[in-house]
Amino acid sequence: MALLLCRGIRMYPPLLNYAAFLRRKSHVFYCAMSTTEAQTATQGSQSTPIKISPHRKEKGLDDVLKDYEAIIGIETHVQLSTLTKAFCSCPYHYGSQPNTNICPVCMGLPGALPVLNSKVIECAVKLGLALNCKLNIKSKFDRKQYFYPDLPKGYQISQFDVPVAYGGHIDLDLPVEFGGGHRRFGITRVHMEEDAGKLLHSGNGRVPLLEIVSEPDMRNGIEAAEYAAELQRLVRYLGVGNGNMQEGSLRCDVNISVRPIGQVKFGTKVEIKNLNSFSSVNRAIDFEIVRQALLLSEGQDDQIVQETRLWEEGSQKTVTMRKKEGLSDYRYFPEPDLPGVILTKDYVDSICNCLPELPEVKRRRYEKMGLSMQDILFLANDVNVAEFFDATIAKGADVKLAANWIMGDIAAYMKNEKLSIDDIKLTPQELAELIASIKGGTISGKIGKEILFELMAKGGTVKGMIEEKDLVQIADPAEIEKMVDKVLLDNPKQLEQYRGGKTKLQGYFAGQVMKASKGKANPGLLNKILLEKLNAKS
Amino acid sequence: MAMAMAMASRALLLLKGATPTNHRRLLFTRDIAAFSSSIPPLHARLDRAIVRSCSTSNSPSSLEPPDLPRLAATARISLTPQEIEEFTPKIRQVVDWFGQLQDVELQSVEPALRADTDGDQLREDVPETFDNREALISSVPSYEEPFIKVPKVLNKESE
Repeated sequence: MALLLCRGIRMYPPLLNYAAFLRRKSHVFYCAMSTTEAQTATQGSQSTPIKISPHRKEKGLDDVLKDYEAIIGIETHVQLSTLTKAFCSCPYHYGSQPNTNICPVCMGLPGALPVLNSKVIECAVKLGLALNCKLNIKSKFDRKQYFYPDLPKGYQISQFDVPVAYGGHIDLDLPVEFGGGHRRFGITRVHMEEDAGKLLHSGNGRVPLLEIVSEPDMRNGIEAAEYAAELQRLVRYLGVGNGNMQEGSLRCDVNISVRPIGQVKFGTKVEIKNLNSFSSVNRAIDFEIVRQALLLSEGQDDQIVQETRLWEEGSQKTVTMRKKEGLSDYRYFPEPDLPGVILTKDYVDSICNCLPELPEVKRRRYEKMGLSMQDILFLANDVNVAEFFDATIAKGADVKLAANWIMGDIAAYMKNEKLSIDDIKLTPQELAELIASIKGGTISGKIGKEILFELMAKGGTVKGMIEEKDLVQIADPAEIEKMVDKVLLDNPKQLEQYRGGKTKLQGYFAGQVMKASKGKANPGLLNKILLEKLNAKS
Repeated sequence: MAMAMAMASRALLLLKGATPTNHRRLLFTRDIAAFSSSIPPLHARLDRAIVRSCSTSNSPSSLEPPDLPRLAATARISLTPQEIEEFTPKIRQVVDWFGQLQDVELQSVEPALRADTDGDQLREDVPETFDNREALISSVPSYEEPFIKVPKVLNKESE
């Protein structure tokens, strides 16, 4: 956290005051909010006026924030990784030239009729089930009417009063560095729709989307960011989309209101858009909480208006985009050009039976295996890493050792080489072999590490490499003794110094012996024999 | 009845105004004409379906009288004062007709949203390139490679 704080200051010097205390603040606030409801409720009514001096201002802000709670709900749009658009067979490629993949349907020409991509229903059912939702066996599409430059037919095909899935929840574990803890957030609904805003930019409008609406269950930036991260994980585990926030394949709109603790009525709701990373979700919310809580504490409630605000990454602020837009009138009505969507029990069952192990189940399984939460969150974060880990332990590798290798040297290598775990040449089979070879004493840990890097870069097998390079660990005491004797004989001066009391030289001798063995001497045995010999005649 | 409902939703759409671009203005006017002429046969049809006769078009309507300038603005359509004068009674007629429709007893009738067909009417996720893209592009009123230029439709209210 301290590190983040420093970076915040360095990157945004003009905002030093506000941004800095905001960063600091959010953490403190988080701690307060992450405790149980009962605890936060008791924290009310001890408000202290805001102090003016910069240093004490932070303290004052803590006190102000202590009296308020934020209510946060998120609408997430997930772009599905289908080959074609939602309602026509035009191919979809991210980043292709504008207006290349078009047809009368996606151009909204009169008389052209939409036909739903079956893959969209499949993805919706998968995600609905994964979010523990109930499914509407009969749902339908509706027209949502509004104007947008990239909406030639004047309406977006969406689902209004009967979404495909509703009433679910999502479970997640907060990162250890943010205090940890398990959370369950409600899912209001999941519905299918076509993207309305892509044609202009990429020539690829009308891409299918799933919109996921959460219950207003989140209380701070971290919870919201972790909710979004868990949704991304789910989308990737299920393979329904790539969940890439930078290219807009996963978009979050946040609704947030702040109210005094103990007040039943919700505060005025503000929507934040333009959040293209988890950290911007986190920071935008914490900024907004501070902004609204300060206004409330100063009696300026009327300054908080129902509006849409944009998160500005450069200035680390939210700014007004649209004010008082009134209740938008989308004039929904049932889409007459599309038949209703009917899910049969067989269809739902067949999807249910093919669902992969989901992140939450995986995390709980890893927990039972005895891994620490830090390990669990790392391994379960990326579905490919998790699969690699699972495959490694399926080959009999020690659980903790496998986790350590993956999170340590393998992760570092992937990061340096900018590779994913599927790109490296090391197979789970060979990692298991490597771990077994070290554990069984065939090779030393040091040599194991060298082999690992070769395996990751070039592939091959542990056995092959040990044979080829003659790397089998020397564990024969007689052989090691011979090497120790030779080193002692070759270094009479150092031996004398050692026996004169400079015992630190043991490391020097150990190094020489290890060098003579080309790194193959069993370190434990080496040290034992070396020590005996060094101390023998003193 | 299903057809009446389809017509009804279409008329509602018309009323609320969902035609986005100016070049659709023609379409709009034509639709009104088409619609007004289609009312009498529908009336005849409806008479059989409903208990109470609703042949009088000047029976008191429970719906708000239409505010033509506002409707036109919502639909991003510009109307001359003459056109407003001309269309107001016609639109009013449509609204009144809906007032009558609201009185129809439908408690026991399943909503007919669309003419549903048998089968799931889905397609496989297999790309097919539309081969007459040139025709699509050439019919675009204002095209600037590779973009389609459209009239300003955002933030109209604030102007």
